[in-house]
Amino acid sequence: MENDSSTKHVVLVTGGTGLVGKGIKYVVENGEKRENESWVFLSSKDADLTDYESTKAVFAKHKPTHVIHLAAKVGGLYGNLRANLEFFRQNMTINDNVLQNAYQNGAQKVVSCLSTCIFPDKTSYPINETMLHKGPPHDSNYGYSYAKRMIDVMNRGYSQDCDCKYTSVIPCNIFGPHDNYNIEDGHVLPGLMHKIYKAKLEGKPLTVWGTGKPLRQFIYSRDLARLMIWTLREYNEPEPIILSVGEEDEISIRNAAEKVAKAMNFTKELIFDTEKADGQYKKTADNSKLRKYLPDFKFTPIDVALKETCDWFVDNYEIARK
Amino acid sequence: MANTSQKRILVTGGSGLVGQGIRTVAEKDPRADEEFIFLSSKDADLTDRNATKVAFEKYKPTHVIHLAAKVGGLYGNMRANLQFFRINMAINENVLSVSKELGVKKVVSCLSTCIFPDKTTYPIDEKMIHNGPPHTSNYGYSYAKRMIDVMNTGYNQQYGTNFTAVVPTNVFGPFDNFNLEEGHVLPGLIHKVYKCKENNTPLTVWGTGRARRQFIYSLDLGRLFLWVLREYEETEPIILSVGEEEEISIKEAAELVVKGFDFKGELIYDTTRSDGQYKKTASNEKLRKYLPEFKFTPIDQAIRETCQWFSSNYETARV
Repeated sequence: MENDSSTKHVVLVTGGTGLVGKGIKYVVENGEKRENESWVFLSSKDADLTDYESTKAVFAKHKPTHVIHLAAKVGGLYGNLRANLEFFRQNMTINDNVLQNAYQNGAQKVVSCLSTCIFPDKTSYPINETMLHKGPPHDSNYGYSYAKRMIDVMNRGYSQDCDCKYTSVIPCNIFGPHDNYNIEDGHVLPGLMHKIYKAKLEGKPLTVWGTGKPLRQFIYSRDLARLMIWTLREYNEPEPIILSVGEEDEISIRNAAEKVAKAMNFTKELIFDTEKADGQYKKTADNSKLRKYLPDFKFTPIDVALKETCDWFVDNYEIARK
Repeated sequence: MANTSQKRILVTGGSGLVGQGIRTVAEKDPRADEEFIFLSSKDADLTDRNATKVAFEKYKPTHVIHLAAKVGGLYGNMRANLQFFRINMAINENVLSVSKELGVKKVVSCLSTCIFPDKTTYPIDEKMIHNGPPHTSNYGYSYAKRMIDVMNTGYNQQYGTNFTAVVPTNVFGPFDNFNLEEGHVLPGLIHKVYKCKENNTPLTVWGTGRARRQFIYSLDLGRLFLWVLREYEETEPIILSVGEEEEISIKEAAELVVKGFDFKGELIYDTTRSDGQYKKTASNEKLRKYLPEFKFTPIDQAIRETCQWFSSNYETARV
């Protein structure tokens, strides 16, 4: 954004009630909001973004100058495997509706959200932003992956043909309050939190799926939120930017499980069910581009972030998505 | 009793270069179990789903040959990649989803060798489509066409449909778009030589003339398209092209057009103009496995026929 504090900015956040949306809302309400900004957090109750007219109406209502586009049809491994076509079609529709309506309403900037899971399946490590289209994605979720990749294609088109500042971010694994803690459908960290909660109640040991050997980089939703707001205000390239902790902060699933256990004061045994699939061994992402822009950015130490998240989960167990 | 083997074949983009090629061969060699309907943009706006559905419900096709697209030559694409992406995505989404909804038995869509990865080994084959980004000049068009293949795979896996696609190399023939700014290289050359002959001026060829292409005559493509519709059962696309050994330079193509019109003037190369991709050599090995005996029309004959058609039809041709 131009640092003109007198111009009114209206920032529309689609998918505003999800994991990332809630993270952005939290940091906006706790110091990040600027005088000239008003923030609108949309959910599926406010508009059906797969419907052009509904999207048009909500954009006309709020007249956003800026958009953070998080809304998507997402799912775990099994959801995707069953329905790649629908993951492709619905996400393509949502993304085209949001970008086109942003353009027609004269929005200055749109920041969309990609994912490290959409990168080429056959690749070298660490993964960087230039590698996004260099081969087909993993077979299990090619529908979701191609739809996300096409956001980058459209951003390039809007930038070149319409002189718009449309761009995207690529987070690594995200965790935080307001996640999906469903053990079958959710991601690994919220899954572990939910399992430990139950294991504590039942006085049982924790069974971790897989060998515990795969490696992951984890980013706290509130750190991601601060970085996405920075991207909205300061990052002006159409090419995506990876938002992740460094390679050196990559940890094994075993190590992650031990940290969650500590955060939840779980003292019983950890068992590893090696019959269950591990998923990809690694997806190591390179955050050099981010570090060039923000060499001093401090990520919340993972133990602190896990403690905050686990405390939120325990305090909000009844209403948490599971 | 309904004849379940009767085919009602809807051809979208039916009045274009390839559609007319299919029409010509279908009319020359009609089959009792096949009925063709050739749609044009006058009949339906395929970027509008309701209009698409109305047209499909009217004609009740059992089969679809999907040719309709927003297409352009190098210069048209370079200026408007976003529109080429969005319009083609909308058309393809509408045709495929309406086809599935109305129980169409088979859809054959049309890709192009220009959508393959820019950085690649040659010859290109069907397995390489998604192995890297396409050329920057027409990435919008290229990605939209690639997503047809993604959707074919998705529809067939999720719904058991029979959706597939062909990949022709550069097509030429009667009823092409001969517009100098928007058209492709051969029709552009044909139009230029026609005018240069009329005005007694030298021919200026855009680019260095060194870029290389395989060209396929629309009538040959028409025959192959009908074979795919009738016999080809894979989801993976099939390249429809002359062999690698038939690849020629733009300079050689220009000389064939000159010969086709018996043009005696000078040839100049405007090297300030872009060449586009240097080569896009495609392998037709898969086609040859299926049809080892298929005979392509010799290129000088095909170009000469097209030049003659253009001269006779100048008033009504798309210029």
